Amino acid sequence: MVSEEKEITPVRIKFSKTGDLMYISHLDLARTMQRIILRAGLDIWYSEGFNPQPKMVFALPLPTGVESECELLDIKLNSYMSNEEIMERLNRNFPADMRVIEVYQPEAKLKLISYAKYRMELFSPKITSSTAHDISNLFSNSCMIEKKTKSGVKSVNICDYIQSLEVKDDNGRVVINAILCADNEKNLNPELIVEAIRKNLHIMDTVGTDEYYKIMREGLLTQDLIEFK
Amino acid sequence: MQRDISTILKSVSKPARYTGGEFGQIIKDKNKIKTRIAFCFPDTYEIGMSNLGMKILYGALNELPYAWCERVFAPWPDMEEKMREHNIPLFALESKDEIKEFDIMAISLQYELCYTTAINMIDMAGLPFFSKDREEDSPIILGGGPCAYNAEPVADFFDIFSIGEGEEALCELAELYTKMKDNGTYTKSAFLREASHLEGFYVPSLYEVEYNNDGTIKSFEPKFDDVPKKVVKRVVADLNTSYFPLKPVMPYIETVHDRIMLETFRGCIRGCRFCQAGMVFRPVREKSAEVLNEQAKTIYENTGYNEISLTSLSISDYSCLHDATDKLLAWTNDKKVNLSLPSLRADSFTKELMRKISGVRSSGLTFAPEAGTQRLRDAINKNLYEKDLLNAVRLAFEGGKSQVKLYFMNGLPTETYEDIEGIGVLAKTVVDEYYKTEGRSRKPVSVTVSVSCFVPKPHTPFQWEAQDSLESLRSKQMFLAEKITDKKIRYNWHEAKVSRLEAVFSKGDRRLSKALALAQKKGVRFDAWDEYFDYHRWMEIFEECGINPDFYANRKMSYDEILPWDVIDIGVSKSFLISENKKAYQSQTTPNCKEKCSGCGANKLGKEHTWCPKKKK
Repeated sequence: MVSEEKEITPVRIKFSKTGDLMYISHLDLARTMQRIILRAGLDIWYSEGFNPQPKMVFALPLPTGVESECELLDIKLNSYMSNEEIMERLNRNFPADMRVIEVYQPEAKLKLISYAKYRMELFSPKITSSTAHDISNLFSNSCMIEKKTKSGVKSVNICDYIQSLEVKDDNGRVVINAILCADNEKNLNPELIVEAIRKNLHIMDTVGTDEYYKIMREGLLTQDLIEFK
Repeated sequence: MQRDISTILKSVSKPARYTGGEFGQIIKDKNKIKTRIAFCFPDTYEIGMSNLGMKILYGALNELPYAWCERVFAPWPDMEEKMREHNIPLFALESKDEIKEFDIMAISLQYELCYTTAINMIDMAGLPFFSKDREEDSPIILGGGPCAYNAEPVADFFDIFSIGEGEEALCELAELYTKMKDNGTYTKSAFLREASHLEGFYVPSLYEVEYNNDGTIKSFEPKFDDVPKKVVKRVVADLNTSYFPLKPVMPYIETVHDRIMLETFRGCIRGCRFCQAGMVFRPVREKSAEVLNEQAKTIYENTGYNEISLTSLSISDYSCLHDATDKLLAWTNDKKVNLSLPSLRADSFTKELMRKISGVRSSGLTFAPEAGTQRLRDAINKNLYEKDLLNAVRLAFEGGKSQVKLYFMNGLPTETYEDIEGIGVLAKTVVDEYYKTEGRSRKPVSVTVSVSCFVPKPHTPFQWEAQDSLESLRSKQMFLAEKITDKKIRYNWHEAKVSRLEAVFSKGDRRLSKALALAQKKGVRFDAWDEYFDYHRWMEIFEECGINPDFYANRKMSYDEILPWDVIDIGVSKSFLISENKKAYQSQTTPNCKEKCSGCGANKLGKEHTWCPKKKK
């Protein structure tokens, strides 16, 4: 048993998922990834049992509609392959808008991810010189929102989920840099930040061609706010 | 334009339907391309991306260096609303360019209830519906697919139809278009006239239809001498060498058939008298087991799919089935790839086949006896006996299966209440067979009886038949519901109103176009979807247009009547169809093509080739 396990190499794949790929849900991504790995000819380890499936673990599912440059996927390989080769094979089989950034041996367990860093850009003709300030104020100490949890929809204070949030006004466009809770206990979907702005400030309530927003997940962080590896 | 699309996607359901960008999609430099084709599928992305015909044509057209074929699916009503609100016209997934920029808008017509969605796509492209109202420089609108075998109800909307198998024909049409554009001889009318000389193309505007006072067709003639009186359908001669897509586009979202679809053969040896596919795909042409296996390996490597489905009209009639499955199983098991064999016939279901597909996760098996008594099964030429069915289910039960689905039809010509009762009796016999089977599973048996309504189809021996009235179909459905009392039998039936509308369009003529145009204006779309199907509204539309649906659905036609689809020659002769129709009324069967050639006529399409199993030298 022990010797068998030794041959299996764990591999962590960091990849981006940007552009229109933000509209691919987490479940669809998982199915797509399974096919990519088979196409790439990686000797992936299958779960045992009645219906063996290639074993894949994603860190922190990305909400649909959000782009990312820091997705993590853990797989195990039955035989050795260099990180460079894995990267090259995957990139050859990825669709446009998905790229491997790095392949490495995992340093820490995925459950040690504590925060995720997001950059949000809001575009709207309704943005005024005071909008940035209003948004800062909105999230300064208390802002109640409806949040889906395991035990149903609950009203929670969104600020309890925000580690830090800064708002900048950039020529009629508002840029928000936020570090949000992303662990097993507390996790905030960045869409809820937009939702709170929509409800309270009436911006982003007619999403269409003039008024729209973009959210990019920029990094996954440990409890000490350093990059998770 | 691109940004506009992307931003509205945040507010619609299933946005990935509209993004394109999948692995395997074909992107070309439009500045180096002469002919751009927008291949439109008038249903959702999930349905269209499951269509093998579309995969074949997309791949085949993109093999042409001078052409670029892109995909377009019908936007769901929430997306349509957003697009109209923001003045975004219908666009193609690959380039996101609007359809007006294309040379050819090709629309696949897979079933009658997609017609309103199809013409809505023309409207969303910003083009007038009617062919005669479109400008000289507007894209050529081409129709194809099974419904093109009677395209008359939509004839006024389309410039041209491709009749029969399209992979070679469409390439020839694109070549003609490109050549005429290149040498400066192109005008829309010159092109359509020239295209009518190509094999397998029907240009409806080149034919004049006159009607009798009773509404039947008086004459249906070409307007010019050089236009063929009959359009002969296209067939591909050799499936071993014809184009087959080896690197299909990989959808992100789950589609209806999200797996490798390997075509094993075209045509069907059986000749069930209600079945249009069984007639229009004649003659039978098979792919060799070697070619099939090589294609399977390549597609597996190119896609990473873990399931292979062997497609055909009746897989157990594939003469290389055992050889092919042996070759496939030699490597698929190791790669953890499942093999599935849909469309199994009960009379050729063997222990060996059962063993071969036992790796598949599916929990049940499906057979289609179609009718409840031997007399009616003989009348429709199903050529299936109760003992065959019982033998097949016993094998399945011995193999551990406890669920069986049985498909039937109500309203078949010559049907009596005895035949309907027979459905219930047969289902009960299957239940009893389960409890007689030694070594069966411990689970309780579940037999699902699914009954659809007969729709008379053009180019079949039943093309002249009338559909049962709504009332009659309903009372038959209720009658059977009362007869089925066993709790182990689940009984489903199809909505008869849907089948009635199908019958109207199936047997329809050009006069139905005004009803379709009005329906689109009134917002009718996606008729095949329960949530959008509105029978009452359709009856109002017919009334407003002065159309009597009974004339099409419930009127028995005579053998000498000019049929709207007589302009299309599928190879099978009318005299064969008449003789088959007469035999139905005597409950006489016709042997299948492997037993004896019945001289249907389709073999003439082979010219020097002979395909028919019993005619091979």
